[in-house]
Amino acid sequence: MTISDRLFQRLVFVFMIAGFTLLATAGVVSVWQLNRSQYFTQWVDHTYRVQGRLLELRYLVERAETARRGFILRPEPRFYDAWRRAAAAIPITVDRIAETTVDNTDQAKRIAELRPLIARQRAAWIQTMGLVKAGRPQTAIRMFRTDDSTDVTRHIRRVLEAMVAEEARLLARRSEEQSAGSGLLYAVLGIAGVLVIIVGITSVVIIRSYTRDLARSRTALRALNENLEDAVKERTTDLQRANDEIQRFAYIVSHDLRSPLVNVMGFTSELASLVPPLTEFVERADKEAPAIVTAEARLAITEDLPEAIGFIRSSTEKMDRLINAILRLSREGRRTISVQKVDMAALLEEIRNSMQHALTEKGVDLLIEAPIPSIVSDRLALEQIFSNLIENAVKYLKPGTPGIVKVRGRAEGLRLIYEVEDNGRGIDPRDHERIFDLFRRSGTQDVPGEGIGLAHVRALAYRLGGVIDCDAALDRGAKFRLSMPATFSVNQEAAS
Amino acid sequence: MTNQQPVNIIMIEDDEGHARLIEKNIRRAGITNDIQHFTDGTSALDYLFNAPEGPAKNGPALVLLDLNLPDMSGTDILARIKAEGPLKRTPVVVLTTTDDKIEIQRCYDLGCNVYITKPVNYESFAQAIRQLGLFLSVIQVPDLEGDG
Repeated sequence: MTISDRLFQRLVFVFMIAGFTLLATAGVVSVWQLNRSQYFTQWVDHTYRVQGRLLELRYLVERAETARRGFILRPEPRFYDAWRRAAAAIPITVDRIAETTVDNTDQAKRIAELRPLIARQRAAWIQTMGLVKAGRPQTAIRMFRTDDSTDVTRHIRRVLEAMVAEEARLLARRSEEQSAGSGLLYAVLGIAGVLVIIVGITSVVIIRSYTRDLARSRTALRALNENLEDAVKERTTDLQRANDEIQRFAYIVSHDLRSPLVNVMGFTSELASLVPPLTEFVERADKEAPAIVTAEARLAITEDLPEAIGFIRSSTEKMDRLINAILRLSREGRRTISVQKVDMAALLEEIRNSMQHALTEKGVDLLIEAPIPSIVSDRLALEQIFSNLIENAVKYLKPGTPGIVKVRGRAEGLRLIYEVEDNGRGIDPRDHERIFDLFRRSGTQDVPGEGIGLAHVRALAYRLGGVIDCDAALDRGAKFRLSMPATFSVNQEAAS
Repeated sequence: MTNQQPVNIIMIEDDEGHARLIEKNIRRAGITNDIQHFTDGTSALDYLFNAPEGPAKNGPALVLLDLNLPDMSGTDILARIKAEGPLKRTPVVVLTTTDDKIEIQRCYDLGCNVYITKPVNYESFAQAIRQLGLFLSVIQVPDLEGDG
């Protein structure tokens, strides 16, 4: 199963909302149920209170009746007092009951039924008690026998029992309702719980499947990356091979070119060695038989031959230098780079020392502006680069101006910028690219050189992952700017 | 050094011009020994090891060897000569245009006695060959004495 990011986010969101909604619902239901159960508890309490009062009333009625009967049989004041207290408490209790059951019409009806009964009973009680007190117990007894106070008492008892039963019924109903409420609560909580669990499980399943997808795509990505690395490696190998091929080609070509050159030079020398005997021969002929020496022959031997030999020689020598330059470049290209930390200030001082003679002779000031950042790269190549640049600066001075050569360096991000600046004759801006080409030179050709130095410098800079450019104008000095990676890495070599 | 025969110079050089220049300069240095010239490695090796008048079977020799040969590398010939066999003490002078340090090192490792770069500057070349001639005259002295 594959889940897109958007879908995943939506699903997780929906499930979180669902989960929280369920929890909130469960909370609301719980609070509601708590309120309800408090309400029920109040009512249960109420019911018990009403029942208690009903029982109290019944007790009072019974007690008043019993005290009256006792007083009729034996007119003692304690019976009378007991009756009076009970009889006095009865209306208050009835009022209280009426108060507490005012909301129940059935009970109110019963109380309304009760009140005249109690009043009647009370009237009968007062009458009998009055008779006994008046010393006519016989009349009271007769009256007691004939009146319906027993029936009234029973009636009161029935009404009260009915009221108690009614309260009990109410209590039962409320308990039932409460337990029904609890049942609902449990049901809601149960359903919410189950739903939360379902949401949870589904979320976990989705997240797991998504995570699995992620892991799978990460593995795929890694595989792809490795492939990419392989591809890069392959390409680098191809480039390396092509580069090696060119280097080898340059090497073989330059090497094999030297072989015929050895012959040209050798036999030119052989020719040159023929000039003295021939000259001698001409001189002798001049003396002994001047007639046989033509002007042509003399010119050929004394002038044309040495001149031709001279030209052949200088040309072959130049050709040899050029071939050597190519050889040197190809050899430099094949050299293994050894990376190390190079203290540039010390390296430049070394160059200054090695060039001290030329500097003094030409009166050039070489200023190495501290601080010069150190670099991690190939020491030999750096030495060659800076030697060439400084040598060039010293070589191409502006006539009449004392030479000043400044070397400085600074860090720019991960790269180091080095500058070699002079106040020499400068370079025509049209030649800024050309001077880096092999065998190409610029300006007045009054200083010996083959046009190799800067080509070499650029090849070395490229090899170290660097770039070199030139900022100069005629007669206003030249500034060569070398930008190098602060730390040489093999990848940079491959990239260059 | 009881051998009475003169030292034969065996020159293995594919470039006729170089061969001629080398020979001229050797003669100019006063060396008159026989010079056998081969322009390829195969025939040179055949002569060195198998010819009845060759150095393996008969007499001392000195080898002048060019490293760039059409049919094989000069270092292979050098290795063959300096390997165990009748020629391992034969002096070998490597004469080539290569001034590659690694190449020179390799030749000395294989047992080359002298290494001479053929420079384009003819004077220095002639100088080197003449010095080589002196070197040759030194090693052949006992033989000359033997002849006399």
